[in-house]
Order: sequence, then C-alpha cells, then structure tokens
Amino acid sequence: MDDELIQDLISDLPQSIIESILIRLPIQDAVRTSVLSSKWRYKWATVTHLVFDNRCVALSNDRSVDQASLVKFITRALFLHQGPIHKFQLSTNYLQCSPDIDQWLLFLSRTDIKELFLELGDGEWFRVPSCLFNCKKLTRLELFRCELDPPPSFKGFLCLRSLNLHQVLVAPEAIESLISSCPLLESMQLSYFDSLALTIHAPNLKYLCLEGEFTDICLKNTPLLVAISVAMYMTEDVAEHFEQSSSCNFIKFLGGVPLLEKLVGHIYFTKVKYMILDFGLSSCFSYVSLQHAFIYMFSILKYLSIGDYPGRLPITYSHLRVIELYQVSFEDMNEILVVLRLILNSPNLKELQISGSPNTLPAIGAPDLDFWEKECPSDCTLKRLRDVKMTDMSGVPHEMEFIKFLLANSPVLESMTISPCVVMDGKVHMLIELLRFRRASPQAEILFIQD
Amino acid sequence: MSEGVLSVVRSEMKSYIWLQTTDGSIQQVEKEVAMSCPVICQEILQKGLGSSKNYPIVLPERVNPALLGLILDYCRFHQAPGRSNKEHKTFDEKFIRMSTQRLCELTSAAYSLKLKPLVDLTCRALARIIEGKTPEEVRETFHIPDDLTEEEKLEPIRNITDDPHIRRLNRLYAKKRQELKERDKPRNTRVKEEHVDERSVDDLLLFINGGKDSKGVQTTKNKKKNRRRKEKEKDSASNHSDVCPLSLFEFNAAYDARSEDNVDHILSSTPSETAKLQDFVELELELDESDSDDGLDPAMKKELDREVENFARILNSNWLERRQEILSLGNERRLVPVSGNISGSISRFTSKQLFYFSFPLIACNCGCLYSWIFFTPHLL
Repeated sequence: MDDELIQDLISDLPQSIIESILIRLPIQDAVRTSVLSSKWRYKWATVTHLVFDNRCVALSNDRSVDQASLVKFITRALFLHQGPIHKFQLSTNYLQCSPDIDQWLLFLSRTDIKELFLELGDGEWFRVPSCLFNCKKLTRLELFRCELDPPPSFKGFLCLRSLNLHQVLVAPEAIESLISSCPLLESMQLSYFDSLALTIHAPNLKYLCLEGEFTDICLKNTPLLVAISVAMYMTEDVAEHFEQSSSCNFIKFLGGVPLLEKLVGHIYFTKVKYMILDFGLSSCFSYVSLQHAFIYMFSILKYLSIGDYPGRLPITYSHLRVIELYQVSFEDMNEILVVLRLILNSPNLKELQISGSPNTLPAIGAPDLDFWEKECPSDCTLKRLRDVKMTDMSGVPHEMEFIKFLLANSPVLESMTISPCVVMDGKVHMLIELLRFRRASPQAEILFIQD
Repeated sequence: MSEGVLSVVRSEMKSYIWLQTTDGSIQQVEKEVAMSCPVICQEILQKGLGSSKNYPIVLPERVNPALLGLILDYCRFHQAPGRSNKEHKTFDEKFIRMSTQRLCELTSAAYSLKLKPLVDLTCRALARIIEGKTPEEVRETFHIPDDLTEEEKLEPIRNITDDPHIRRLNRLYAKKRQELKERDKPRNTRVKEEHVDERSVDDLLLFINGGKDSKGVQTTKNKKKNRRRKEKEKDSASNHSDVCPLSLFEFNAAYDARSEDNVDHILSSTPSETAKLQDFVELELELDESDSDDGLDPAMKKELDREVENFARILNSNWLERRQEILSLGNERRLVPVSGNISGSISRFTSKQLFYFSFPLIACNCGCLYSWIFFTPHLL
C-alpha cells in the first residue's frame, strides 16, 4: 500500500536541475539514464557538456579493441545528441591520429562549441583539421600533442579567452598571429615548445605561463598582465648570440607590465626528465615545486641578465606582491643585479622566494663585496616585505650578503626561512654569520631548516 | 554609554522577516539570513513585504516548513563570516546526509528560491547517488516507474557502452521480433518487399550499366537524412580510411567484371572487403530515418526499420559463419553464370523464396542486393 503513495521523486524536477545532475555524471552513466523510463529516454541528449576519457568504455587487454570501442561510443553519443554542445573534452591515450577525430571536430564546429579540450596519446601527433578554425564562439581551447596549422584566411578566434597549447607543433609566425588576432585573450599557457622566439601582442592578457625552449621572449603589448610564470630554457649558443646584441632583455620582458602582481621563474627540465616526473598541467598555474635539479640549463634569470641595462629602471611594479625565482646563481653578478632590480622596484613586495643553484661552482677569486655597497642605495626599505624563503643555499658569500641586505632593510619582516644544502660544517658557518646580521624588524623570525 | 549597554542595544536591533509557507504557518527569521535567498531578497526590496506579521513574504509552494528550516540552516552557516573553506566543505558534507526523498525535495525548494549554491550542492549529491548504479538500482532508489513499453524495450537498446550482455540481449530481442513479425503479417510484408526489390534493382541496373559515380548512386539509393554521410562526403577526400561505400562498389565492380565467369572469384573476396561490407551494413542500419522515397507508409517503414536492425545484428554476428557455410555449399553445386539481366533472374523465384532471401535485401537496401546474390549462388 505504501508503494502506491510513493511517487517518482526525480523525473518531474525542472529540466535545468536534471541537466545540472546529468552534467555532473560521467558520460556513460548519463547515457545509461536513457533506459530508466520513458521520460528519461532523451533527457541526457541535451546535456551541453560532453567529457570523454578512457573510463567511458569497458576496457579489455587489447588496445585496438579498446580504441575501436571508444571511437564507437563517442561517435554514437555525438550522433544521438541534440542541441548545442558547449564543452567537449577528450582525454585519452588510446587515440592518436584518427580520421574519426576529424569528423567529430567537423560536427562540433557546427554546434557553437565554446570550450574544447583535446588530449591525445603519444605517437603520431594529431593534425588539427581546418574546421577547428571555423568555431567562431570558442572561448577556451586546450590542445595537447597536436599539430596546428591555421589557414591563411583565418581571422582569429574573436571570443577566445583562454588558450593552452601543450606540446603543439605550430609555426612561430602562426603562433604570434594567433595570439594577436584573439583580442579577448586573458589567459595563455604555452608548454614544451622548441626554439621559439615569441613576441606577444595581447592587450587583454592577464595570466601568462610559458614553458619551453625559447630563444627570445618579448612582451610587447601586454599592459594588463597580472601574473607571469616562466620556465625557460636557453641553449649556450643562443645565450652567446645575445651577449653580442645590445638590447636589454629585462626591459623587453618586464618593461611593459606595470600591473604585475606575481612573478614566478622556474627552471625547465629537458624532455627526458619530463617523462620521468609526473606533471599535472591542467590549469594555468599548476607548476611543480622542484626539489632536485637534474639537467638544467639557464633559467629565466640568465635570460633577463643579458643585455645592457640603461641605468635606472623607469617602471615601478607597484602591484608586484610575490616573486619566486628558482636557480639563481649567486656567482653571477648580472643575475644578482636582476634580482636586486626587481626587488628595489617593487615597493609593495610581500613575499619573496629565492632558490639558489645547488651546483654552484666555487668562486674564482675573491668575491666583489663592494658590489653590494655600490648597487644598493642607502635609503631603500622594503616596506611591505613579510616572508622570505631562501632554499638551496650553499652559503657562498654573495648569498649571505643578500640575506644581510634583506634583513637590514625590511622593517616588517615576519619570517625568514633558510634551507641550506651543505654539509654540517657549512651550516655552522652560515649560522655564525647569520647571528651577526642586523635586523630592521624586531619581530623577524629566522627559521633554519635542517633536512 | 558604556560598552555593555551598547552591545545589548545592537543585538536587539537585529531585524526579522516574516515568512509564510504553503501550509499557512508564519515564521520569523533573521533578516540577514533570509536575504541570502534571491527570491526573498527581491520580495523585500521590491515589494516591501515581510516586515510585519500581517504582510509576510509568501514562499513558493515547494517550500514546506521542514525544508525551510534546512535551507535557513544552510544560509545561516554560509553567510556567517570568518569560516575557512574547509569548514564550509565539512558542513556541506554533513548537511546533505539525508534521505533521497528529502534531498530531491530540497533541490526543488532551493531551485524555487533561486539559491544557486544549495542547488549545486544538492545536484552534486544526487549525481553521486546515481553514479555507478545500474538502471534497476536507480529506478529503485528514486521510485521511477518502469514504463517503457514492450515494444520500446524490444527495440534494440543502443549499445552505447558495448556491453556484451546488451549485445546478447539485442540478439535475443531481434530473434523474438522476427518470429513475431513472421507470425503476424507474412503476406503483406512479402508484397511490399517485392515492391522494394524492384526499385532497388532498377537502381542496380543503372549502376551496372551506367555511371560508376559513387556519390550519384548514393543519393539515389540512400536519400537518408544522414549527417554522418554528409560529413563523410565532405571529408572523403582526405584522411578517412573508415567505412567507405566505395569499397562496396569496388566489390561490385569486381563482381561485374567477372560476371561472365564463375562466381568463385567473388566468393573468395578478401576478408577486408567483407569486413568493409559488414561495416557498411552495420552503418546503414544505424540510421534512424528511412528512405522517404520508397513509397511505403510510415507504419510499414517502422517495421522495416526494425527488421533491418534485427538482421543487422544477426548478420554481423553470423556473417563469417554463414560465409563458410555458403562457400562449402557453393563448391558442391555447379555455378550458373549470372547474366546482366538480373531482374529476370529474380522473377524466376517463387514468392516464398523471394521472401526468405529478400530479408537481407530490405535490410540493406540496395547495397545488400549483392550480398543476397552472394548468399544464394546455388539458386542462380
């Protein structure tokens, strides 16, 4: 008797709630709801987000069977779908280059798609068909392991706000014109490019994340840039080529970003190491905190240190609050100068994180300690600096001078964390020196982290 | 005034709003908490209601007092400042622990009050309940009536996840439906089938005698509103090694060339061609809409569609076995060379045999005419 009174709890809820539920289900469960009852038969077909991955199909041990069943599933789901599709995501390593993907993209280009994520397997990289460039309403584009070749008549994605290209093969001119033809671009991530010389014109760009082998980076027109994260790699010969030129890389890179709030300079692993480590590059700022240096070449700092610096820097980074720089070589005067420049021109700096290079070569000759008196103006105070973290410190004289400089000029410093990477004797020596330093801030805590 | 007195005065100044639920009862609620609901907020600001007991804000009908209590608890927690994200999450997790019925009602109530964070939370909870369950389990949890009709159930379930159980089930359904059809309307279908046969044969003749233009033949033979087909035509130039009707025509061309000789060559067509043919058959049968030009009424079309799908399944599962069978059959008998006058050969058959062999024919329209001939070499 009770059963008669219990009514269907869910089928009569408003369509937007049902869609909200179905969007949160994995696609295979959403499709399965079509056999629940007559009302549910086509409820799943109007879902606007389609997310496909390896879990969609029951896997067997045979890779080609899995590939075929995944292809069939996606094709049928697309075929039975009704209405617009706003998001399409495909992350699978079973498919590489397949004509089915071309057809799916052609189908999607007709459905006013707004967000497209394509992550395919290793092997032959997927050559993106030209129908992708007809997706006029695209706002987010993420491609992993593809080949991109915009046709000459391509005028740009006029609605694109977020671009993420990871291991994508594309001609340098094509990349630059792609970036400059997307007027609304706010967030961009370019990963694992080879030998790219990039000039960025993006008047609305706010978040920039670059990783790879760059021969040149010039932020020409990025006045609204708020956060930069760079993991750069530069080969020796390129560096030498720069030594001869007179353009100042610091100005080229950081000259036009007055609204910058966060600057992060990572080091870049070579590709081999990339495969060993587990990276999860899903968002613009999922950078990995590096503990061990494998093979590394020069970092962004080296790049920035190249070039003639024209006296006092004209820009003040009044919004810059966080600076994180890895692999600063305290043996190289130019690199230290870059760091100093950044710090001295950021009156509102709150957090500073510097990581030294553990493979620092022993200094040749006596260190030039006068350098510090020369370069640091006597009246500089880092008025907002609160947290400083120095990692991978080897205790070389310049490092200690730097710490001394920071301690003496930060009246509101709250914590200074130092993690050395030297043997016991070195640590004791460092500690002895640290004790001597004057502190401008009465509440500063010096935390000496032992392993 | 001292601090203590001031604070007392301040707490007394907290204002209250009067809300009326569907059952007529009126509740007093703190204004800040109630303002988190957009609908209530709107009522207060635009209509000025709720400030006294005589003019309460009437809530939408899905909000009964118990649900209102829950919603207000939620609002109260979340609009209080100074709580970390983790605390919010823990609260949310505990909050949604309730019966499924209550959860559905809460979703509906939150929706009517346009309280988006709560709607998202409850939808996520419902999705978690549904995830991973079989349809029967979901029906049980939500008391969904199992009202798919027998016919709809017998329609082959679109085997989206390629479940072997569903495949087997579809095969069983197909067999059952075939039996039903044979029992119910044998004569009508036979007559109609002959009609269909002739049309296809004309097209066939056209093809064999005239142009080898695959696209042209496609449009005359297959005027199906098929997006996929159109896409294929557009993309066919470049990189698809997929199901290609062209392969079918290659097969036919081979057949044509050797029509004077024995049919052995055709029987020994390569596995790839048969695979392609098989795929083509399957492809044809996936299509939802049928030919609009066949001159059949819609009911018949539906039946034919179903038969088509049945036989696709049968064919696909038994194709290779059948082929072996026929090969062995064919070797025993003498093979009569097939002339170009195929319509003549068809008329030789009795209606019964025609019925038997034209199922595959209808199944695959013109394409499978070839398979039909292929199947019955001993009759030629």
